[in-house]
Amino acid sequence: MARKMSWLPTGHLPRVLMIEGSRKLGLALLPLAFLLLMSVLPLLRLLQEGQGSISPDLLRDPYLQWRIFWSLLQAATSCVAALLIGLPIAWCLARYRFPSRSLTLRLLMLPFVMPTLVAAMGVLALFGPHGLLGINLQDTPWLLLYGNLFFNLPLVIRAACEGLAQIPASRLAAARTLGATPWRVFWRVEWPAVRPWLWSALCLVFLYCFSGFGLALLLGGQRYATVEVEIYQLVAYELNLADAGALAMLMLLLTGAMAALYAWLERRLAAPLKVDPQPPRRPQGREWLQLLTALGMLLLFAGLPLLAVLWRAGQAWAVSGLSLLQDEDVRLALGNTACFSLLALLLAAVLGWLHALAARGGLWLRALAFLPFVVSPVCVAFGLLLLYPQWSASLWLLLASYALLAYPFVARSLAGALDSLPVHWPQAARSLGARPWRVFYRVEWPLLRPAFRRGLAFAAATALGEFAVTLFLSRPEWLTLTTLIYQRLGRPGADNAGSAMLLSCLLMLLALLAFLIIEWPSAAQAAERREP
Amino acid sequence: MLQLEQVCKRFVHKRVADGISLQLQAGEVLALLGPSGCGKSSLLKMIAGLEQPDSGRLLFAGEDLAAVPVEARRFALMFQDFALFPHLDVLGNVCFGLIERGLSRVAARQQARDCLQQLGLAGMEARRVWTLSGGEQQRVALARALVPRPRLLLLDEPFSSLDADLRRQLQQEFRQQLRAAGMPAILVTHDREEAFALADRVAVLRDGHIVQCATPAQLLAAPATPWLARFIGYENVLEEGVVPEHALRLGPDQPAAEVRRIIQLADGVRVCVVSAAGELTLTLSAREVRQYAAGLAVGSLLHVGIDRAAMLRYATG
Repeated sequence: MARKMSWLPTGHLPRVLMIEGSRKLGLALLPLAFLLLMSVLPLLRLLQEGQGSISPDLLRDPYLQWRIFWSLLQAATSCVAALLIGLPIAWCLARYRFPSRSLTLRLLMLPFVMPTLVAAMGVLALFGPHGLLGINLQDTPWLLLYGNLFFNLPLVIRAACEGLAQIPASRLAAARTLGATPWRVFWRVEWPAVRPWLWSALCLVFLYCFSGFGLALLLGGQRYATVEVEIYQLVAYELNLADAGALAMLMLLLTGAMAALYAWLERRLAAPLKVDPQPPRRPQGREWLQLLTALGMLLLFAGLPLLAVLWRAGQAWAVSGLSLLQDEDVRLALGNTACFSLLALLLAAVLGWLHALAARGGLWLRALAFLPFVVSPVCVAFGLLLLYPQWSASLWLLLASYALLAYPFVARSLAGALDSLPVHWPQAARSLGARPWRVFYRVEWPLLRPAFRRGLAFAAATALGEFAVTLFLSRPEWLTLTTLIYQRLGRPGADNAGSAMLLSCLLMLLALLAFLIIEWPSAAQAAERREP
Repeated sequence: MLQLEQVCKRFVHKRVADGISLQLQAGEVLALLGPSGCGKSSLLKMIAGLEQPDSGRLLFAGEDLAAVPVEARRFALMFQDFALFPHLDVLGNVCFGLIERGLSRVAARQQARDCLQQLGLAGMEARRVWTLSGGEQQRVALARALVPRPRLLLLDEPFSSLDADLRRQLQQEFRQQLRAAGMPAILVTHDREEAFALADRVAVLRDGHIVQCATPAQLLAAPATPWLARFIGYENVLEEGVVPEHALRLGPDQPAAEVRRIIQLADGVRVCVVSAAGELTLTLSAREVRQYAAGLAVGSLLHVGIDRAAMLRYATG
């Protein structure tokens, strides 16, 4: 075994965390079994279900044709819009220096931890019936597209910024001195360099939009819902498992192809070398206008929905105070959310550590940690129901699905940190007389802790905001914050609307807390930043 | 051709140009030599137009450059890391400037091919730039800079990423090519050998101002300050002047000095002594050791004197 694995770059691994091939497989056993039972088998079961019943008739049905067409169209439109809006914003953020620039760049992380439900509530508060902006876009395609942009514009912007930061300043200067105007430099030097980053980001955007559930359920209305919503409705309301299975299989094939394309594109990205990127400079004259426009667009697409939630919740508070939150359901939902999230975090921490340690140097295990990111929660939940009908009332099934969605964050974050741990430090500690476990305690753990904390915070945000699986497997006694908000939203009356808004605001604040934990600079980063 | 008048520039925490004035004649190669952080790279960037001076004027052929953007100056800039475009092949890189100057693709390709041929790179047109060796990259970068016939060539440490042997070989080639092209050039370097080997004149910079600007021979014959003398390689720098190796006299009639350090060399020794004039370092050949310094040891005495007539006096003004 050890010989077979010798191609792995074990040479640079720290001694104490260097793991023999056989032990590595042992470590991987638990996460692999978990992935198999919780995602691969359910998806296979779903394929089986779909295969039995797929027929040309189903695809000839104009209603379903429209659903599939619209799912593809809205995803494609979101990609194009995110590219056209995101690239200029990213360029301004990367090239111009302005007050609070680093804060803005950090805030771009915010949508990654924001529950879909909060975003959907924000979009409704802005453009829904009686919206703050006085425009009612309900039952138009724009609500869903706007919601998609809220989540995905920052993703594209971050990717483009990263790509732009990989271009050495000397390359840009060389192009200028060879006679290229700034616009030509963008076209002939920056754009070709950023393109691979953009393609892989857009692949993810397409994947997320196409298989998105929460946003489409709340914002799509009757006409503009997506296939995922259709699957949920077929299962939950019409008990039509056959059609749902066929649709889910279609989804799986399409998202699988997209995920494979993404993985391929991602691997083609050049390994980031140490480069001196172009330092941002103060904008001059008309450039201020560009920058302000870019920031305005960013606020419009990525900030406004959250501000709307805050504003609306404030209004509800002013009218009726906290009385809206003092009932049995809210207490139950709060308790459940806290309890589920905590237990899911524990599971995620254990699975994440094991997976990260096992995945050291191994590409395929690392790629597997990506699986739960790309499979649609609705499909997984549906598969779980089909595969384990006897456990559909077991809380452990729900917790395990939470852990499935949350643990890859811990695993990926830790794996990255393990990779960047220089081999000399543990070696130095050993030569200074530390035993292996003391090396771990005094050198490796302090260095890995920030990554572990970040991973956990992402996992916590995922668990807090989980909606799709919870709704699918929902039982009255498993009420969580997200399902409660959805319930309240479905009931008439200002009180229900007010309490849904207050609960959304609470959820948003919890997600903000997770964000603060993630983005709070560690002591080392803070010291680095103070250097000129 | 190029004229700098009282150019000043400061960044938040330091002054990188403090009233710099310079003139460059047609066809002349000028080196900006100085330790790291002396402001030489910033000066080059200001000439290229990548940075703006806080005050002072830059003129080229009588035209004020303040309002001329980088791309319109027609000064080629060659970088330490060569800054080749990774998404273009060798030919695409060399064509880049020609296409930006509005040449048709066909004409640009033809000119680029001719230039590659001249530089001994024929047959490499379709190579990806990251497959080239350091020396090949350097030549491609030079071809890319030269082919649009710039009015001035700016070079930012163009040899420092190459190993020593290759560097010497390419420096010679480079010198010939510049001569043949008759193109004025400004070379930024921290390596005095490079500056002396390539440039007609050398401007030595320190903390944002020019300490001395002269031909290599003038610099070596009469450095302006003790700091500059040490910087260009003299070891025995005294208040009154520089003592070159040939101004040191050995022999029993010279005053005695105490030996402080001895460093063994392949073909002799380097000896540090404390004399009445101060600390002196001298290199003795094996023959001289036998003749004048038998039993040389730390703490022993060596008779060393200075021939005042052969000392170099500091240049004034």
